[in-house]
Amino acid sequence: MSIFRNLQGILTQIPFKYNAIYPVHMNACLIRLLSYVPAEYGPERDPAPLYFNPEVQSLLKSLTRVNLDRVFRKRKLGDKALEIPTYKFMTDEQLQETIEEAKKRADELLQMPPVVQVRKPIDRIIVKDPALQGLDSSRHIFTDVSFGIKDSDRLIVIREPDGTLKEADWAVRDRMNQLYFPKPCRSLKMPRLFQEEYLSNLLSHKEYIFVLDRACTQFEPDNPDYQRVTSITYQHINDNDDFEILRSTRHFGPLAFYLTWFKNIDNLLLELIETAHIDNANNLLQLYGKIHSVQYNTQELQSLEGITEYIKTAAQKKGPLELAVQAYKDLERQRNELKQGIQVAHGLA
Amino acid sequence: MLYPSSGTGQFAANSAKIIRFVRKGCTNRPFFHIVVAERRIEQQGPAIEQLGTFDPMPNEQDEKLVSLNFERIRYWIGNGADTSKSVRRLLGLAGFYPVHPTSYITASKNRRTEEEAALKASEETKPNETSPANV
Repeated sequence: MSIFRNLQGILTQIPFKYNAIYPVHMNACLIRLLSYVPAEYGPERDPAPLYFNPEVQSLLKSLTRVNLDRVFRKRKLGDKALEIPTYKFMTDEQLQETIEEAKKRADELLQMPPVVQVRKPIDRIIVKDPALQGLDSSRHIFTDVSFGIKDSDRLIVIREPDGTLKEADWAVRDRMNQLYFPKPCRSLKMPRLFQEEYLSNLLSHKEYIFVLDRACTQFEPDNPDYQRVTSITYQHINDNDDFEILRSTRHFGPLAFYLTWFKNIDNLLLELIETAHIDNANNLLQLYGKIHSVQYNTQELQSLEGITEYIKTAAQKKGPLELAVQAYKDLERQRNELKQGIQVAHGLA
Repeated sequence: MLYPSSGTGQFAANSAKIIRFVRKGCTNRPFFHIVVAERRIEQQGPAIEQLGTFDPMPNEQDEKLVSLNFERIRYWIGNGADTSKSVRRLLGLAGFYPVHPTSYITASKNRRTEEEAALKASEETKPNETSPANV
């Protein structure tokens, strides 16, 4: 929706004559709108302590809005044959127990991927030995494969043809770790779907969950490539208002966190108000307050005070947000009137 | 008889042990396991334990890959195991041992032959370069 809103704004800015003479420019305009600049969690501020804070986690979970039907949906992963469902007779107690169990399993399935700072490049030279120049034309990579060492702590060094002994950079480390200690579903080379042209195609088909799941298995969360792919996907979701696709999946928390971190929550807030989830909207503002250390009056989850405050002070899309709030108020008033009318009709008021 | 390439773990008491290469791979495609074995046992005989691998053929990115289980290498060296010259050279390059003297010798020899070849090539090309000017 919002992308069309943006487009409309741009179209109205371009005079009609110009438009008619240079139709190509219109296409250029479209393409530019669909390409994103990835934003990563840079070295200025570390998101991890905030993200793993239990309060923030519970806010993100409530924003995710767990729907068991969606969590246990049929997924076409291609590796498992579907089972024939079994039907059982149960007492109420047993039913409650099984539902509790399913909720626990859902919690496991909805464990959110971590959000951490992007990793720092490695450039530590251990020793320079020019006397070894000419020994070999290719470089040697030495990997310590001792038992019980974490991938991140493993010693991997490179002897260059010019005799320099240095620590391996991240790309080599990832490759060696996957080579000697392979992780399932992770490939040695980055799959082409993460390249810009293929990624944009996938995103235009709204394969967000596929892309994000694949990124989780392929990359470590501090990998710049992971942050690039997820950031582009989140921006695409935000611009196309496709939040509903990610709801009840493990990726909604990181999405909400990303949008809040980069102060881009207007679309999400608008969607929450339009769908009359005022409690979630207040949760989002609580999260915003936590991250950017501001205070909105969001104690009462059903009140609109904090939201109007946010719209006045920090919102970028004031017009649509105010309209949505007004529409919600009207809806609420009509609902109350109807309620009272029914009560009057029943002779209760 | 076939032995597990990861090693049998069996050895005679007080026997001399050595950390060395075992050639795996096939014809025209060498690949080495680095193992600790009893010195008296032939190369393809049973190894006590595998300690790493060495791929002498450069890969796509022009890298030769070596994996070494330093924890176990330390253990075996501490127990008096010897190392073969080629393994010592490799451990020297890895920075585990001091660089082996023969590595320096080979490097300087290679450099010299390269320089000589370059000199020769430049001498051969010189008359060719000047020939169009003469004509």
